[in-house]
Amino acid sequence: MLRLYGRRSKMIRRLVLDVLKPHKPNVVELSEALSHLQGVEGVNIIINEIDQQVENAKVIVAGISISFEEVKKKLEELGATIHSIDEVAAGKRIVEEVMTPQDSSARM
Amino acid sequence: MKFLDKLKNYIKISGVAPISRRYFVMNAFDGATTVLGVVVGAYVAGIPNELWVIWSGFGATLAMGLSGFAGSYMAEEAEGAKRLNSLERSMLIGLKDSVVGKASHFASLWAAIIGGGAPALTGGVCLIPFLLSTKGLFSISLAVQLSVALALSIMFLLGVILGRISSRNMLLHGVKMLLVGLILTVIFFALKLS
Repeated sequence: MLRLYGRRSKMIRRLVLDVLKPHKPNVVELSEALSHLQGVEGVNIIINEIDQQVENAKVIVAGISISFEEVKKKLEELGATIHSIDEVAAGKRIVEEVMTPQDSSARM
Repeated sequence: MKFLDKLKNYIKISGVAPISRRYFVMNAFDGATTVLGVVVGAYVAGIPNELWVIWSGFGATLAMGLSGFAGSYMAEEAEGAKRLNSLERSMLIGLKDSVVGKASHFASLWAAIIGGGAPALTGGVCLIPFLLSTKGLFSISLAVQLSVALALSIMFLLGVILGRISSRNMLLHGVKMLLVGLILTVIFFALKLS
């Protein structure tokens, strides 16, 4: 897999993940741990929902060559689990989401 | 340093700090009170020699240390397993290999070390005058007085610690704990007089 795609396999620049985590370790510790991963330049964690024992967080990881496996491993090590991968930006530059007429009509 | 940071992190995640504080105060108090009882009881009975008190006190201290270690470990291990199972049910994943699972396991061990070490430490400290007495530094009656003074000081200090934890009057809490030791001492000396 790595050979097939060569350098492209580590060209992830932004990951947006829906994560379920226990209250401890808290978001500060989680973001610090993720920010120390190789290829990661910035981390943003937003808590969406707080339950009695767990909390749901939106984890945004940005960098030049993020390893998804490393991010997943670190999250699991800290007791968190990825519910879904909501956005991935990869390649030489980040391509932002664009609105199309269909999107706006769908919202109407 | 990294190892210490890891331990600090486990203590923070597991939330074992207040529990271990409780174990420390409770079991340290037990240790001091038991050895105080042994010392005063031996004095009232008429101590044949220092070794009698040392071995009786050592036996009681060792028993309390082991009992504190095993009791705290079993209790915390069961509580930790319950908490972890409940969290695993909420997360729908196993957490044993995660930092949460490791912290839970460490918490049981930490509570056991504190729970067993505290009575052994305070009990051991109260026996020091008798150990020095075997070297001819003190007479037996002076060793008894010093041992009682040490036990009462430990009780007072434990009260001060409790007062500090609860951000209340440290002196008042110290005196409250001291009273328990004094009551025990007075009972024994009253028995000797009668």
